[in-house]
Amino acid sequence: MQSEAVLLPEALQPPTLFEGPVTLGSLDDQVLQYPARKPPAAWYLAFAFTFTLMTLGFSFIGYTFYMGIGVWGNTSPVFWAFDIINFVFWVGIGHAGTLISAILLLFRSRWRNAIARFAEAMTIFAVMCAAIFPLIHVGRPWVTFWLFPYPNQRGLWTNFRSPLIWDVFAVSTYFSVSLMFWYLGLVPDLASLRDRTKSGIRRFFYTVFSLGWRGAASHWQHYERAYLLLAGLATGLVLSVHSVVSFDFAVSLVPGWHMTIFPPYFVTGAIFAGFAMVVMVLVVVRETMDLKNLITAYHLDVMNKIILAMSCLMGYAYLMEGFTAWYSMDQYLHHIFMQYISGTYGWAGWLTISCNVLIPQLLWSRRIRRSYVGMLFVSLAVTVGMWLERFVIIVVSLHQDYLPSSWHIYKPTLVDFGILFGTFGLFFTLVLLFARVLPVIATSEMKVILPGAQPAHAGGRHE
Amino acid sequence: MSDGVFAVVGLFDNAQELLQAIPRVRARSLGRVEAYTPYPVHGIDAALGLRRSPLAGMVLVAGMIGAATALFFQWWMTAVDYPIVVGGKALFSWQAFVPIMFEVTVLFATFTAGLGMLFLMNRLPFFGHPLLSSKAIAAVTRDKFGLAIEAQGEAFDVEAAKTALTAAGATTLEVLPFQRELVPLQFMTRAAMGIFVSCVVAGYAMYWVIKLFPVLPPMVHMEDQPKLNPQKASAFFKDGHGMQLPVDGTVARGPLPYLIATQEEAAGLVNPLPRTHRVLQEGRTVYNQHCAVCHGLLGTGTPSLTSAYGAKPANLQGQTIRDYPDGKIYHVIMKGKNAMPSYAADLTEEERWAVVHYVRVLQRAQNARDEDFQ
Repeated sequence: MQSEAVLLPEALQPPTLFEGPVTLGSLDDQVLQYPARKPPAAWYLAFAFTFTLMTLGFSFIGYTFYMGIGVWGNTSPVFWAFDIINFVFWVGIGHAGTLISAILLLFRSRWRNAIARFAEAMTIFAVMCAAIFPLIHVGRPWVTFWLFPYPNQRGLWTNFRSPLIWDVFAVSTYFSVSLMFWYLGLVPDLASLRDRTKSGIRRFFYTVFSLGWRGAASHWQHYERAYLLLAGLATGLVLSVHSVVSFDFAVSLVPGWHMTIFPPYFVTGAIFAGFAMVVMVLVVVRETMDLKNLITAYHLDVMNKIILAMSCLMGYAYLMEGFTAWYSMDQYLHHIFMQYISGTYGWAGWLTISCNVLIPQLLWSRRIRRSYVGMLFVSLAVTVGMWLERFVIIVVSLHQDYLPSSWHIYKPTLVDFGILFGTFGLFFTLVLLFARVLPVIATSEMKVILPGAQPAHAGGRHE
Repeated sequence: MSDGVFAVVGLFDNAQELLQAIPRVRARSLGRVEAYTPYPVHGIDAALGLRRSPLAGMVLVAGMIGAATALFFQWWMTAVDYPIVVGGKALFSWQAFVPIMFEVTVLFATFTAGLGMLFLMNRLPFFGHPLLSSKAIAAVTRDKFGLAIEAQGEAFDVEAAKTALTAAGATTLEVLPFQRELVPLQFMTRAAMGIFVSCVVAGYAMYWVIKLFPVLPPMVHMEDQPKLNPQKASAFFKDGHGMQLPVDGTVARGPLPYLIATQEEAAGLVNPLPRTHRVLQEGRTVYNQHCAVCHGLLGTGTPSLTSAYGAKPANLQGQTIRDYPDGKIYHVIMKGKNAMPSYAADLTEEERWAVVHYVRVLQRAQNARDEDFQ
């Protein structure tokens, strides 16, 4: 193996998945030390900031509950605005985690092992942020259980032909499956933490949540099988959840929404936005938690390549949207498409295209793919661009409907923005907490790919 | 023999050594051999002779049950229990049920894979395993590889097991005694009593707090609106009435006030409508909408209400009502009778008389004379 590597050109050599000497024990010492350590001052500062943001957001939600959703900018004909934009945005952010943990596992991409844990955690937090919006949008959050089909004295059942009820099932299934996947991965790590921690309340919690895991070979056998099965199931989910979210639009008859391209277009956008978020967070984690030898430049490089690929797909989708509008010879669709790129909200359309298609093209350069400034700039642009894309799809398509007398320019209010930024506060508060109490890298998965981890007799490299 | 010993465990430094040791230790057949590793090691299943995990089959079955459950419930809810036509689709439009079938399939399959692995296959959570209180556990969840010979059967002997493990290359040896009682019974009893007492105390405390401090008004949702409520004063007008009387000298339009007080006085009223096809059609419509729910489609007074609520609506086919003049029936519609409320507000004057005609038609139809058949 060693001699072959010398002969191969650089591009064909196996990538470095970690730098410097990493052994089974040093990996544990490096990753699992954080829960036991007191966080640095910068962490407290960041936490105070995100927590304040979250509290402000929840205050705005409380204000909405008290006053009713009239305090938002939504009004006829734009009944779906920030709430649905933010819902689609956050659900999309979650998709990168599932893709990394599930699809890349099936493809045996060994670089996923270092970043899967963090990406999965981000999935769960993002879905939690997303779930807030439909619940507050119904106006009476105390009766949101009506969304589920349950036997009631009114003798009613939900309408199963509505994409909105599909959404309820898709998002709740997505959350449950992501949580299961994440927790199963955590069990062996929690066992490691349990055995490192000598006493105290933390040992109690690690003991309870590691369920008495003892690393028996007969357990690993079922564990690996279950993990593989879950990956297969989650792969179906990652493709289906955003497809179902896109049905909320595609199944309606609103021009600009009623298109068959929507499901793949939404799934691509979701993975795109999710990877951008993962890159941004991982850069911070890598620097502040001293994990440069485990999350290497190669990891960031591959993720940036995926962002680039998704960006090209997004460009194709935008072109195809325009082509569909032109080819349909439908004047309503023509009109709405022209509103995307001109008219009151034309700036949003062009900003979407710049952020999602033009700026990511910078990633063709290897130097930018490996520079913090470059990748952070692109990721930020993608995050803004993907949010604006949903704004364009939802608000611009709605604000001029079939009846010109009801056309209306939508303006968000302070409360709309407050709740949006509040969910960012919630998301990053959870991310910060996670980074301090649980292992940010799946050590049991990393150990598998360390040199000499697998017996040599089997021949070739195994995952 | 070795009483009170669960197993002897030896530690190895890497996976290669462990994998080479397994066949040597197993060859001595001292007892069940189990390996403990910090991560899944390839080839160990075969070396230990483990059977293939049956999870895949379980997940397949669970997934199919999920799909069937989702399909069945959606069919039953939309086509059987609450059949409502939506968007002109068939009641059982299975294409629309596919997304939820998929989601429920994945949900069932995931829970079977995850929880089935933990609970059914691996018998977790289990905190009483002897290894968990050994020194070796900290090593095998970190960077060492354990191989245990469990004390099962007559062949087991602590010294023989130690020799076998050392010969196979184990560096550290540890004898695992059986776990003593994990939690004393006395503690469990006390804990259970404590939980019971706190539940009772909390329940009573909550009851009295709610009773003594009813600070939160119950939510009234839609009732709490600026509107006119029956039996309530309106703040809108000075006199508190929601609806004002007409100004003096207003000339009435439409039907005149009905001033007849008793059924006997009404006997003299004459039905002003002609018995035309149109009038009878109208009468039938109004009768089926308003009257049939109690009096029955044929006027026999035995509809479903009778069995459900024990009500006894009048039998319009009875001799009493057949003998009524039109005016008396009209009066009952206007004023109500016994449990029947007034329908004056629901029906126009023309509709009331049309119903009277239709009731006559029903009576004639049920008591046909010979000449009606000619």
